[in-house]
Amino acid sequence: MALHEINYQLLIENPKKIRKEWAHIGVVGSGDLEVLMERKDLNGAVQVKVVTPVTGFDFIWNRVLESFITENQLGDLLIEINDNNATPIVVSIRLAQALAEANRVEEEEI
Amino acid sequence: MEMETMIGRGRDAIEMIVDVDSFQEGLIDDKEFDPELGPGAVIGTASIKGSTVTVIANDAMVMNPKFRVVYSGIIGLEEGYKMALAVYHTMEKDRQKAVGEKRAIVLIVDTPGNGPGKVEEIVGMNKSTGAYQLALAEARKEGHPIIAMVIGRAISGAFLCHGLQADRILSLSSKYQTMIHVMPLTSIARITKLDIERLEELSKENPVFAAGPEFFYKLGGVDEIINTPEEMKASIDQHINEVHELKINNQCDQLGPWGHGNLGLEREGRKARIHVIEKMESEYLEVIDQFL
Amino acid sequence: MLNWEELQESSFLESNARERAKGLVDKGSFVELLNPRDRFHSPHLPVLGEAIALDDGIVVGIGKIGIRPVFVISQEGRFIGGSLGEVSGAKMAYTIKLGLETLERIKEKYPESWEERRPTVVISFETGGVRLHEANAGLLAHAEVMDIIQDARKKIPIISLIGSKLGCFGGMGFVAAATDVIIMSEFGRLGLTGPEVIEQEMGKDEFDASNRAMVYRTTGGRHKYILGDSNYLVQDKINAFREKIQEVVHLPFDQIEQYRRIGSLQNVLQQMELINEALEINPNDAIDVWGFYGNENPETLLDLSFDQFMQKAVRREIR
Repeated sequence: MALHEINYQLLIENPKKIRKEWAHIGVVGSGDLEVLMERKDLNGAVQVKVVTPVTGFDFIWNRVLESFITENQLGDLLIEINDNNATPIVVSIRLAQALAEANRVEEEEI
Repeated sequence: MEMETMIGRGRDAIEMIVDVDSFQEGLIDDKEFDPELGPGAVIGTASIKGSTVTVIANDAMVMNPKFRVVYSGIIGLEEGYKMALAVYHTMEKDRQKAVGEKRAIVLIVDTPGNGPGKVEEIVGMNKSTGAYQLALAEARKEGHPIIAMVIGRAISGAFLCHGLQADRILSLSSKYQTMIHVMPLTSIARITKLDIERLEELSKENPVFAAGPEFFYKLGGVDEIINTPEEMKASIDQHINEVHELKINNQCDQLGPWGHGNLGLEREGRKARIHVIEKMESEYLEVIDQFL
Repeated sequence: MLNWEELQESSFLESNARERAKGLVDKGSFVELLNPRDRFHSPHLPVLGEAIALDDGIVVGIGKIGIRPVFVISQEGRFIGGSLGEVSGAKMAYTIKLGLETLERIKEKYPESWEERRPTVVISFETGGVRLHEANAGLLAHAEVMDIIQDARKKIPIISLIGSKLGCFGGMGFVAAATDVIIMSEFGRLGLTGPEVIEQEMGKDEFDASNRAMVYRTTGGRHKYILGDSNYLVQDKINAFREKIQEVVHLPFDQIEQYRRIGSLQNVLQQMELINEALEINPNDAIDVWGFYGNENPETLLDLSFDQFMQKAVRREIR
């Protein structure tokens, strides 16, 4: 029962890049996860890697990721998730937080 | 057939290791210890092949009447400070001596743990054996060769205190029931929810969690496995001489915990550590100027 | 992540390791080493089916307080109990080593005024010690940290912060004890053996691990402050910890040495006096110790607010 890895890729139309080079949010606590987002030249695609102890829920991951990427029109982005049994709702919240962090305007830029 | 073991035989081990009739218990040179202080720890002065050494051992056959959790070789509040005192007095006696001439400290290790009691926590058990670790580290850096000889149990935090601060760590082979671990595999199995057979299989490739001196050898946490108790004396003597030599030549990075880290890489048991160090160093060099 | 100003008012207890690290040093000064993007997770966990973290549960880096570099080590309790493995252990040990390396650079660059630029190491503990999934490597890393702490003696101060949910236990209890200065909040706990193990050893009648209040009294910030094991007790705010660090970094080393509990013959002799006192008190509860050191009706200290407690509590005097 080694860790399970899910790789997911999606290319949508007119994708937007994140503002920062990279961002990270979250702690891999029980029922929680961390998200790393990195700007990367992927010909517009988003590439996701999820590492989790849980198996058998790949279709849910795929669904959550798809709606997240399409709703936010993301592209040229690498997402890495280390999960420890987070529920889909927690996953969605953390993804949104990571994206907010990735697009945040730093104080010194203002 | 009864298994041969040195567990519980700390005092016998002292006699096997030091010159005949040379052990003076409770004395570090002329410094006399209160005989009622921390009976679970045996300290004293002896000679090995004619050279004076300080001996620090566990006595698993007594209990400390003042602290009920101290028995079977457990290091209690008093024991930890007693061991620390033995180290400080040793340093004091040789303060004027040059590196290469400072007496060795021999740790004879057979301990299952630190005192796990209520009074211990109220008073702060972490300070007692913490003090002993700092004393050993200081003595090692001052030039005293410190050799740990695991004869029985070297368990978790107790091994951290009584053993892992040594320059060199030797262990009797597991044929003698020697135990070095943080937790037995059964407990690891409970935590990881993997069965023992699977864990045993995994430990063949990765020594980081399995119990036993052989695994610590691969990780660089044990320098040498000693095959029979009869070989302990000659081996300890040899290591003392080697350590003296290294210290005279300022090669201390091959000794102690740092040296054991390098040994763990050499023996391929601990390969991640060095990558961490190298990457941190290079990132540090990139940014440090802005902090100076 | 909250900005620096927001972090200052945040609860230290509720914050995560990265927030603490960022908030403990001057605004905008924190640079993380081996940050999540470097992906230095434990190589030992995947095969055991245990979740991994990109920082292996520890945040390390450099910040500034005034003109002084501050090396920060901040443990994350929510990731496998803040435990130390091969990677997190090496991160911890090497951060202190970098502090020492920096001292040499500063001495070279500022031969006259290096003392006012002396680096400091700050460790925020949130841990039970060794990570059992990679226990042997974790144990060896502990020894390395203790060794490097001794290297840092009288060169760069090391300050412990204990105010997290998990407190500081196991092998890390030694490490905290071995540092120069300990700052706790009243939510912090410092010890060696966890309550369940003590109960198992002594029996439920003597020590009931489910009695949270009693467990907190035994190793909690208020008790450690009265005893002198904690040099300072502060409010549960990142700000409060930061301000205390700011105070300590400027102290001359002979004064910092006075704060130590262990690390010298003199210290050991003082601690042995404490053991004799404990034998005299024969405490059934930490409160008995408070009474012995001059706190009248010591149980009333329990219900006092932080400010009232600070006013009223009588601490053990070190002779």
